[in-house]
Amino acid sequence: MNLKGTLPILILEALVEEPDHGYRIAQRIKERSEGVLNFKEGTLYPALHKLENEGLVTSIDGVEKGRPRRYYSITEAGHAALAKERAEWRQLSRAVTMILGEA
Amino acid sequence: MATLATNSLDSWLSRATRHLSRDAAAQVRREIGEHYESARETAALTAATAEEADRIALVALGDAKVANCQYCRVMLTSAEAKLLRQGNWEARAVCSYGWGRWLVLGVAAAGLLGSAGLLIKGDGYLGSAMLAGVMSIGLFFAAKALPIYTPVRGRIFRGVRLALLLAIWVLAFAPHTLQWSWLMFACLWPLVLIEQRRGAIRRKLPIAQWPRHLYL
Repeated sequence: MNLKGTLPILILEALVEEPDHGYRIAQRIKERSEGVLNFKEGTLYPALHKLENEGLVTSIDGVEKGRPRRYYSITEAGHAALAKERAEWRQLSRAVTMILGEA
Repeated sequence: MATLATNSLDSWLSRATRHLSRDAAAQVRREIGEHYESARETAALTAATAEEADRIALVALGDAKVANCQYCRVMLTSAEAKLLRQGNWEARAVCSYGWGRWLVLGVAAAGLLGSAGLLIKGDGYLGSAMLAGVMSIGLFFAAKALPIYTPVRGRIFRGVRLALLLAIWVLAFAPHTLQWSWLMFACLWPLVLIEQRRGAIRRKLPIAQWPRHLYL
């Protein structure tokens, strides 16, 4: 399914529980959507860099199983942006459901 | 087999990092390399062969050209990195030498007095042309001395600079400003290009990492 424009909010949501590296963020989004939201993983990192530039996530270098990793975590501004986006999404979803009807 | 996979990944990375600065390209190579290794390990659990696992990991990355477009929007390109390194060269060229600064100040002061004298005498054409010259000098070299170190002040300064640039043009070519407007567009396009690049750098770099000249 095409999730154009929604990837940043999905990344923020994936980071709410704990800081993580890019690969696991991608897997978490796919697992939680039960495979419906299937995006190309090469586009994940530009989205992460954009969120970092905007101050919504921060990153630190770490090591996992002897392999260098970059861990991303959500900031206070990221939490605020996520809450705003979530409210907007619920409003939009409710409006579309009202028009299309419940399945 | 490992060489084949490395070649495929290298080819993907070469396309994904086109036009990016050296630092940005190195970062992309590192993060995608890590990601690819993890994806390949996971794919190896279900794939029949190692080649199949490599192929699955590479396909999951998607189109390198699309990734390149997105990277270029959020990371510094080589042209932007060069501009960032050069900084405000026009101000630095003069202000890094003590005598240069005094020379510019002296020329500006003499020009200001000269233009005032000419305007009082009634020689409007030469007086306004000289005033335009003095304003040009101030425009390019005074910025370093001004207390501009916040994005808002930077935006105000750039707005004032644009207005001054137009005023200089009007002063220099009055009363035939419109007739010579083609020359203005021909001369200004390099400045527009540089400003556009500086704007892109401002969008891409967090404010905390802005060097002084990026505010100007």
